[in-house]
Amino acid sequence: MDNQANLETAQARIAEAPDPAALAALERELLGKDGLLGQQLSAIPSLPPAERGPAGRAANELKTALTAGLQARATELAQADLARDRAGVGFDATLPPPQVERGSLHPITHVTRKLVEVFTSMGYHILDGPEVELDWYNFEALNISADHPARDSQDTFYCDEKGSLVLRTHTSPVQVRAMERLTPPFRLVCPGKVFRQESTDATHEHTFHQMEGLVVGKDISVGHLVGTMKTLLRGIFGRDIDVRLRPGHFPFVEPGFELDARCVFCSDGCRVCKGTRWIELLPCGLVHPKVLQAAGIDPDEWSGFAFGLGLSRLVMLSHGIDDVRHLLGGDLRFLEQFSC
Amino acid sequence: MLISMRWLGRHVDLTGIDPEQLALDLTLSTAEVEGVERFAPYLSDVVVGHVTERIKHPDADKLGICQVDVGTGEPLQIVCGAPNVAAGQRVAVATVGTVLPGDFKIKKSKIRGVPSVGMICSERELGLSDEHDGIWVLPGEPTVGAPVAEAIGIDDWVLEIDNKSLTHRPDLWGHRGIAREVAAILQRPLLPLETSMPELGSEDPVSVRVESPACSRYIGLSIDGVGQGKTPDWMRALLLATDQRPIDLLVDLSNFVMGDLGQPNHTFDRDQLSSEGIVVREARDGETLVTLDEVQRNLQPSDLLICSGGEGVALAGIMGGENSKVKEGTARLLLEVACFEPVPVRRTSSRLGLRTDSSARFEKHLDPTLPLQAAGHFARLLRELQPDVSFPAQLVDVGDWSDPACEIPLNPDQVRRSLGADISDEVMTTLLTSIDFGVQSQDGGLMVRVPSNRATKDIGIEMDLVEEIGRLYRYGNIPEQHLVGALVPPPVDHRRELTESCRDLLAGGARFHETMSYSFQSDSLHQMLGLDGDPYVSVINPVAEGSARIRRTVLPSLLTLLEPNRRQREEVRLFEIGKGYRPEEANDRGEPKEVHELGLVLCQSKSDNPSFEQGALARLMAVVKDLLGALQFPDLQFVPCEEPSVPWVHPVRRVELVVGASGKQAGTTIGFVAELDPGLAGPLGIDGELASDTAAACVSLDLLLEQEPSGTSFVPLPRYPGFKIDVAIVAPDEVPARDLAHAIEKAGKGNARDLVVFDLFRGEQLGADRRSLAYHLVLQNDKKTLTDKDAQSFLRRLERGLGELGAELRS
Ligand SMILES: [Zn+2]
Repeated sequence: MDNQANLETAQARIAEAPDPAALAALERELLGKDGLLGQQLSAIPSLPPAERGPAGRAANELKTALTAGLQARATELAQADLARDRAGVGFDATLPPPQVERGSLHPITHVTRKLVEVFTSMGYHILDGPEVELDWYNFEALNISADHPARDSQDTFYCDEKGSLVLRTHTSPVQVRAMERLTPPFRLVCPGKVFRQESTDATHEHTFHQMEGLVVGKDISVGHLVGTMKTLLRGIFGRDIDVRLRPGHFPFVEPGFELDARCVFCSDGCRVCKGTRWIELLPCGLVHPKVLQAAGIDPDEWSGFAFGLGLSRLVMLSHGIDDVRHLLGGDLRFLEQFSC
Repeated sequence: MLISMRWLGRHVDLTGIDPEQLALDLTLSTAEVEGVERFAPYLSDVVVGHVTERIKHPDADKLGICQVDVGTGEPLQIVCGAPNVAAGQRVAVATVGTVLPGDFKIKKSKIRGVPSVGMICSERELGLSDEHDGIWVLPGEPTVGAPVAEAIGIDDWVLEIDNKSLTHRPDLWGHRGIAREVAAILQRPLLPLETSMPELGSEDPVSVRVESPACSRYIGLSIDGVGQGKTPDWMRALLLATDQRPIDLLVDLSNFVMGDLGQPNHTFDRDQLSSEGIVVREARDGETLVTLDEVQRNLQPSDLLICSGGEGVALAGIMGGENSKVKEGTARLLLEVACFEPVPVRRTSSRLGLRTDSSARFEKHLDPTLPLQAAGHFARLLRELQPDVSFPAQLVDVGDWSDPACEIPLNPDQVRRSLGADISDEVMTTLLTSIDFGVQSQDGGLMVRVPSNRATKDIGIEMDLVEEIGRLYRYGNIPEQHLVGALVPPPVDHRRELTESCRDLLAGGARFHETMSYSFQSDSLHQMLGLDGDPYVSVINPVAEGSARIRRTVLPSLLTLLEPNRRQREEVRLFEIGKGYRPEEANDRGEPKEVHELGLVLCQSKSDNPSFEQGALARLMAVVKDLLGALQFPDLQFVPCEEPSVPWVHPVRRVELVVGASGKQAGTTIGFVAELDPGLAGPLGIDGELASDTAAACVSLDLLLEQEPSGTSFVPLPRYPGFKIDVAIVAPDEVPARDLAHAIEKAGKGNARDLVVFDLFRGEQLGADRRSLAYHLVLQNDKKTLTDKDAQSFLRRLERGLGELGAELRS
């Protein structure tokens, strides 16, 4: 009976153990050498042999009962712990998280990458060319004669009095450099920085970015140019966008065009297309035979088309940027708005 | 350029043509129309009134009370002060509610007690002329109540054509040229225009001598008996519609002929000319001319001058001189219709900042056969308006010119191939003929005769004809085609791969912001940074004084961004990948050497006692180390540099970046990381409340590209566990961390791995000029499990090794 009472007392204490540490202490006390079980076990050898068997069994029963009780309480405490954790006391969903600093890529990089991805998938090489350019590549080889207005110093930054070195006014000179080096047929684009001698304001900038494109092959036609541009737009915008060609004059193409695309930003009173539903997207044309010739390609055998995308303009249009000077201004409040 | 539809209607029948549709047609086939506007739209609200009665105002002598029938039944009572208003007249009435130019709204009013509903308008009030002495009495008997513009035939639509889309088309700088295109587009005939010279007298003409090749043709026509006369309403309306202010008959007629045929012309008072006549010559140095706008122009020999009696009377092709101006009462004229070379005209007009309708046209290579037509047109129109004029002398027509009309063989197959459209020979012929090109079959192809008005500059080769056919056929009718060809992957572009990786790693991993700067750097910046003596490529016509230099290197551009950005942000992390130019290393073609660089700046507000890893220099070194590690240059070393590569960095706190060093091989310096020289904080504006801790790094992408990256080779995972151990070392300041690291590695006998400094500490308890460096490391061996005993012997060996350096383990 004594045993039974001791067990009940022990079970009551187990049930009241407030936390896992107290429970562990209690376990040591009850099951240890000097504890309830230890006392019973240590008493066994001194018992008469006939009583030892039953006493041993009783001690085992006690151990089993205590262990089960401890286990049950441990489970109970763990459950309570979990319940407390799950209660999530003090959590405020509206408390803002700590700020993680971000980096960013320049919007020109973003648009260039997008275009390069599309062009690469269509088999175009990506080329680079110098910003300080020889007059020959920037003008002469592009059929822009010495008396052409574009060569006035109001439009071009000249690096010497002779006019033999200029800051390139377009990415078109890379066309010529590429044609000198490559054997047709080929397709290429060249993104880069270009310069115009112009005072800056919200819509004018003396430094901006372009991407030139050139395709040279057999029997390249205006139809190919249209097809390519539509494919390009599909690649950029993920859907079909209507385009139209109209006459445009550039000395290094013949015939030359302005290519308009359906305004993709259109809404009522659209500021981008001013309600015309067309956006002047890029100048383009079939490569002028003299340009092919200047670069050492036989115009009787080969033909091609070229186009010039205004990257800065594309960035401004697609982000609704109202001042072109932001692009090269290096203001973190501007740069931070773009992702990495 | 402004094109009036009514004016076009003199050359081609525009019945039933919608202005917007015409604009679209021109845009798609000829030149960009930027706008379509109604001419003087308020003229549709102003109606024809019939003055049925005029009585004197009882309280004002100069005012009249008019009853005006405007076709609404009840006549309107209008008080009018004009002296010329009289019963029986047809007048222009602005009724209540009409808004006239100048935002002038007509309201009901009382004038000296008499109610007045509406206004009888003068020409000036309608924006038609400066005439305001009286009301505008309408000619003829236009329908009462009808809108004035329609009733007297001056209603009009105006198309604004983008001048840039006309630069290569000298033929389109007059209405007849545009009309030729419109006729071709609409497939309607171009109406004939009689421009033959009327009967001329037999007097000796004014002598004209051309002494410069810049004038290729000069026609002089003497005109006598010019009287006073008003420009007819129709002509004034056409001039107004195209934004030309009517002045007087001769000026208006001159402008009309220019607007009609695109040929500038000029009239001189013949009595003001010397008896020796006209000499066309280059100006002399120091010569001056007061032009019609009353500005004295300083001339130079590249300017072409029309002279009489030794002095200039007109700046050729640009503007007449004040001294030979035709005044009221001038009866004897010399009409000049000439051909001036485009380049000198453009040079002179842009040098003098004097761009006129005339110079704009001469810049475009006008048709040299046009002056004769224009002279005939002028003479015929003048005689129509003033039947008494006569042409007393033979025409002077001098100069060295030839008809540019030419023939170009055209292969129709080439047209079909280039356009990618199946256009028949017949359709090609029709299209070319519609714009006055001659077409004949020849040798299985076509022979195309290009008229003089298209042959001066625009059309010279077969591809030019392809364009003519294409635009008239309409590019929109060409089916789109896809390029066909072998799809070969483009060659590997290492530079591009490197720059794009740098961008991703720096923006994504290091959380830097990419910027792109101007290539110009200012003289003052270079002076500030001590870079003034370097050679630069510079432009001779900079946008602003002192910013002509093209950068050699990227970082100075980034330094200018610190101050403005620090005003907004506690920390500035920027990078740029860009080009620099070195003229001293130009090649034999004169191209300066181009270098490709990565520049980084890290600028943070200065803190009093930063831990060693929080300083800008340490942080930026970490970024560079991480970047180069990711680019597979794990062997990057930071090497103390004796000689700074740039003068603006801190004299001590700077390191060079060396890759490829191994054993005895020295490696290559590919850039540097450094703090900014503290003396530059002030000049750069990052002092005071913007006091900053600033570091900058430069990596030459060109040099990096020449190095061999390590590649990624798999190292088997360790089979035996290692254990982490921390050691703290107290060492005199002069012992470099590199030596301590060597001591640890040596003591580890190849088992000390993953060495990382996690603390740097100085304090009184360490003694002066001593520091404590704490390291995490892992002891690990590839062949066995290390034990506590191994660790103990490692520490004993380390203690000995440190002792040799004068350092010790801190317990
Ligand atoms: Zn739109």
